Amino acid sequence: MDEKPAIEVPETLGEEIGGQGKAYFDDVVIDNILDALLELSAAVWTYHDRVTVLETVLAEKGIEVSDAIEAHVPEPDEIARREKERMALVNRVFGAFLRRPTPRGPAGLAAQPQTGDDT
Amino acid sequence: MNRGSIGVTPRPTTLADESYLEFITSFRRLAIQQMFPKVAEHGETRLAQAMENGAVKAEGGNVPLTEIQRIFAENPVTPTFQRFVRTQQEMMWRRTRESFFRDAGGLMAWMDRAAAEHPERLHIDPEFVPPEYTRREIHCQPGGYTDDPLGGVVYHYGTKVFYEGFNDQDELHRELAERATPPADGKVARALDIGCSIGQATTLLKDLYPDAEIWGLDVGEPLVRYAHARAVDHGKEVHFKQALAEDNGFADASFDMVLSYILFHEVPVQKMREIIAETYRVLRPGGTFTIYEFPSNDKGQVSASTRFLVDYDSRNNCEPYSPDFVAADFRGIIEEAGFEVADGPALSNTFLQSLVATKPA
Repeated sequence: MDEKPAIEVPETLGEEIGGQGKAYFDDVVIDNILDALLELSAAVWTYHDRVTVLETVLAEKGIEVSDAIEAHVPEPDEIARREKERMALVNRVFGAFLRRPTPRGPAGLAAQPQTGDDT
Repeated sequence: MNRGSIGVTPRPTTLADESYLEFITSFRRLAIQQMFPKVAEHGETRLAQAMENGAVKAEGGNVPLTEIQRIFAENPVTPTFQRFVRTQQEMMWRRTRESFFRDAGGLMAWMDRAAAEHPERLHIDPEFVPPEYTRREIHCQPGGYTDDPLGGVVYHYGTKVFYEGFNDQDELHRELAERATPPADGKVARALDIGCSIGQATTLLKDLYPDAEIWGLDVGEPLVRYAHARAVDHGKEVHFKQALAEDNGFADASFDMVLSYILFHEVPVQKMREIIAETYRVLRPGGTFTIYEFPSNDKGQVSASTRFLVDYDSRNNCEPYSPDFVAADFRGIIEEAGFEVADGPALSNTFLQSLVATKPA
């Protein structure tokens, strides 16, 4: 059966969660820090979960990896890949500071974050 | 890509997505269940003090909303709560959409196959254009109910997070269906779920009334297509139709029972009136309309902290119509349409009001 759908699916959409978003503090840096804290926490949990699953799967197969992990020395390709992934994490965690890099008002900058009181 | 399901709920397409979204679920539980009560307690206490010393006065039995906002904002934790709730909502939608988009081809093909297998139970008018008022991104869902072809699965997993894990197997919707009030004569040959979204309560109505013809109606084609495919997968003979609840196209007096769950606060008050009139039209004499909905505050019956939360939710979770709904005399409007209205069965979610409107025999 042809798996190509009759209806086109856009990759991205959504105005509400796009743009600079909302700010709830007079100092927008606090908003940014709290966003970063949440992303960081989610990332920490995600990696924690993966390591837990990985160790469980390996143990089910009778493979003990703790010593091998400590002894592992990466090759250049692996170093480059890990660096790329690390940079993606940095951007995700600290993206809030790029999203709202300026305080609310005064005017002079075209795009300003909305306040939480804006409708 | 397709990692199967968690019971009746779809599973995100990668372990990383699932772990991330489970974190959001846990964090949301903390924000709503533990953080908000502290914000509420502080605000209610400060408001009571302000009223006692005369700094704040009630007007017509209600404390002005602006005063509630001002008092609650004095607590430095309030903007932190607001930031957290908004951010977790954005993170949830962003990652949910991203996850299921990875399997967009498979998901669309799955809905197409169900449509081809049972076209007699999927009712979509290709000429139908959702009116602008229905196309808001309610709850900040990308594309809302109408504009994202993947909106059904995104809504399903998104609301799994919203319900903080307490509706993973449709437990809440089972309660809605089980507590829906049938007509006094017990005759249910045909039942309708208006604003059915992805048909969770609709299909459970079929379990409860297996001999009845069950219909779910929603304005969002993506939701209706997903609901239909899900019902086909579960072997449930349920009809799903894309239409406006205020213009449903059914014959007069053709249903014994109608159900609506948190529909009315998501439409303008004028549309609410039209939907109630339309529901009255399609119910047979003696038929019942069970309504689970946001609270009403037309008589000052809602606490200051709930008003604060509903106001925040309206402006920060894209609920543009809820303030007018909450302020309206909802029960009076239903009675004006000709219904006899009584309190309905209590729900586990005590935030909601429950009403049963009966069309006089």
